[in-house]
Amino acid sequence: MTARAVVLRVGAALVQVAVAAIAVFVLTALLPGDTAVVVLGEHADQQQLAALRAQLGLDDPLEQRFLNWVTGLLRGDLGVSLLTGAPVAEEIGRGLATTVLLAGATLLVLLPVAFATGVYCGLREDSRVAWAVNSLLLLLNAIPEFVLGLLLIGAVSVRAGWLPATAAGLSGWSLLSEPAVLVLPVLVLAAKQVCGLARQVRIGVIEANSAEYADHVRLLGLSEPVVVLRHVLPGGIRPALQQLARTVDGLLGGVVVVEALFAFPGVGSGFVEAVKARDLPLVQGYALLFAVTTVVLSLVADLLTARLVPQAEAAR
Amino acid sequence: MTTHRGLSRRSLLAAVGGLAALPMLSSCGSATGSTARLRTAFPVSGARESLDPHTSSLFVDQARAKALFDTLVAYADDMSVVPRLAESWEADPTGTRWRVRLRTARFHDGSPVTAEDVLYSYRRIADPATASPARWQFTDIDFAASRARSERELELVLHRPNFEFPVAWGAPATEIVPAGTTDFSAPVGSGPFRFVSFSPGAPAVLRRFDDYWDGPAGIEELEFVPINDESARVAALLSGQVHYAHDVSANSAQTLQRESRVRVLTAEGGTMQALALKVDRPPFRDPRVLRAVQLGIDREQLVEVVLAGQGVVGNDLFGNGLEHYPRDLPPRRRDPEQARDLLRQAGAEGLFFELLTSAADPYFEPASGLLAQQLSDIGLRVSPRVLSAETYFSDINDAGVAAHTRTAALPVVSFLRQRLRSDTASGNYTHYRSAEFDALLDKALATADPQQRGRLLAEAQLLARDRSGLVVWGFSDWNVAVSSELTGLRAAPPNSLDWARFDGVGFA
Repeated sequence: MTARAVVLRVGAALVQVAVAAIAVFVLTALLPGDTAVVVLGEHADQQQLAALRAQLGLDDPLEQRFLNWVTGLLRGDLGVSLLTGAPVAEEIGRGLATTVLLAGATLLVLLPVAFATGVYCGLREDSRVAWAVNSLLLLLNAIPEFVLGLLLIGAVSVRAGWLPATAAGLSGWSLLSEPAVLVLPVLVLAAKQVCGLARQVRIGVIEANSAEYADHVRLLGLSEPVVVLRHVLPGGIRPALQQLARTVDGLLGGVVVVEALFAFPGVGSGFVEAVKARDLPLVQGYALLFAVTTVVLSLVADLLTARLVPQAEAAR
Repeated sequence: MTTHRGLSRRSLLAAVGGLAALPMLSSCGSATGSTARLRTAFPVSGARESLDPHTSSLFVDQARAKALFDTLVAYADDMSVVPRLAESWEADPTGTRWRVRLRTARFHDGSPVTAEDVLYSYRRIADPATASPARWQFTDIDFAASRARSERELELVLHRPNFEFPVAWGAPATEIVPAGTTDFSAPVGSGPFRFVSFSPGAPAVLRRFDDYWDGPAGIEELEFVPINDESARVAALLSGQVHYAHDVSANSAQTLQRESRVRVLTAEGGTMQALALKVDRPPFRDPRVLRAVQLGIDREQLVEVVLAGQGVVGNDLFGNGLEHYPRDLPPRRRDPEQARDLLRQAGAEGLFFELLTSAADPYFEPASGLLAQQLSDIGLRVSPRVLSAETYFSDINDAGVAAHTRTAALPVVSFLRQRLRSDTASGNYTHYRSAEFDALLDKALATADPQQRGRLLAEAQLLARDRSGLVVWGFSDWNVAVSSELTGLRAAPPNSLDWARFDGVGFA
């Protein structure tokens, strides 16, 4: 990728983020009810509602509020949560630590397993083991996360008593004080993601293994391990990079079900709560985080892909 | 989260629990590690995450407030008033001047609880700027005329007579805080537990207050663990991570009956389930159409099917079994024949209306389907419309003609004043405005003789029963589940003294 292409790509990314922010703002504003109603509950009278709305600035016109948000953003200020009054960055930061830890632990399990099985199944395409592994991965992919989660909780935690069922009050870095709470959610997340990733690796390896350049280097007399490590794998991993980016993106933003099931207060459930509370600054903060994560990851994947393509490099 | 997914997850957990007849190997987790700390799991969804008792509206807020603070009085299971910080009280013959004597009690910082603290707290609650859900309870107080007669003697003066005024002193969000308190980040109260630590989104940890006036608590530490998902609360309880799981579904309660490790505490009929029909607009402005719905629904079937039998059949009155509830009334039975007749007379055969519902209560949506079916038998066409759960109870204040509603146990007098009086600010979902009802209620509150007052309150309720548009079909049970190693906990309806009260708890 040339420098010009990178600049264009980053520019497009910024536009994507801006569009996402505007769309989320408008959609959240369209929801019935506002934070004042959520905060004061069912028995608030109009006087109380009016007082709280004035206090929270909910009376300002929508475009004014959006403008305030954007000017704040340009100063690096995401605003404060309407519900708790705490800075949005602080609110999101709490959940983000939980999510990053969960995602990181999941990747530690997922990456070796997915790549090892993908490469193995790619190189031994027609073996029985490959067929069995493939079937198992497909089965894991077909089980919804909450089903697998409940089965594991029921068997491993409730019946056998081997592992804690939920995070039970731990969040962020305090999870590390009792790492056992990470085991079940990591298993559920990894089980769901391993199929997609391993299949991409497998396809890539099959393709690269049978490509002309692989045959070519074999004919040159290079030993098989060298052929595989130096020539097949880089090409084989390439198609999996975009899938990996999507996986990481999903782990960082969309594991609402697993978070709820194991009582992990991460950004997924934080976002749902923010929408429920009609907490617009907080919702916007999350939307921005998710948009930036998606865009950055896909950018990185693009750049890495370009780096791994021998043909493209050669052609330049 | 959709109800569908919630239900299927719950039933799945039920299946897992039921299938595995394997012997339990052991229980695990940190809860059993230190028996001195009681760990309780509550949903905190939508919490403002403040320990200010006067703005609390969620059950977790109320439970934390109950541990940290005290109210002047509390409610027994039948919502009658029992003394707490107030030792005794009496009204003058007009019912406008109340003298309250406080017991000797101390705040966590060692200072005594005084009449000034009570006045400060009530003034703060009545201040619109505080935005307290209990504000309406104290708007009748004449604060200029009210005063502390001595350190432990208080005189509260009202703008109008109210011989049921002590009911207000036990309402949620009426806790007594030290005079002058504005910051609740490390609150000082007079309750059985002292503040140790709390940060939003994280557990609240409290420690026993040894000088508590009602005797020190049986446990050293109390922790409130936030777990929003119901199945996660149940799993945390079953795996020994927590000792107490708040708000357990009827489904889980049934499964848990088979578990020796836990006990389910069921407050029978703790929550009223009703239809609110707006009587200020067509079609229910016509009393014949209203009456037809009252006669057209099958309350027994609703309780049997929707509540899976875990509840009590309603009789179009709030507060089954509570103080002032008219007990000896014959049940309202289904009479489709007469209902059809009434609709014919009103020219409302084949009438169509929308029934507002939401996931705000697990029983609303299943009840909608069955109600629509029952009412189609008498020739009404009912179509459920689902509203957003978070703002549902505020939305149905004005929207539509028919809506599901529910109310947890509270004193009958509070219910009548807050939900059925014409001047009520919100929560009168049926828009019932009756000068006759208001006059009866006012007369009852201004009547000193308790028996006479009871008769007038019953009269007011019977009037509202026919006309208010509130069709009470049942009372759903209220479940919490606790570890079987706990002692000193019993089933108690929400808002009562013994509900979510942890100072009497011990470990077996």
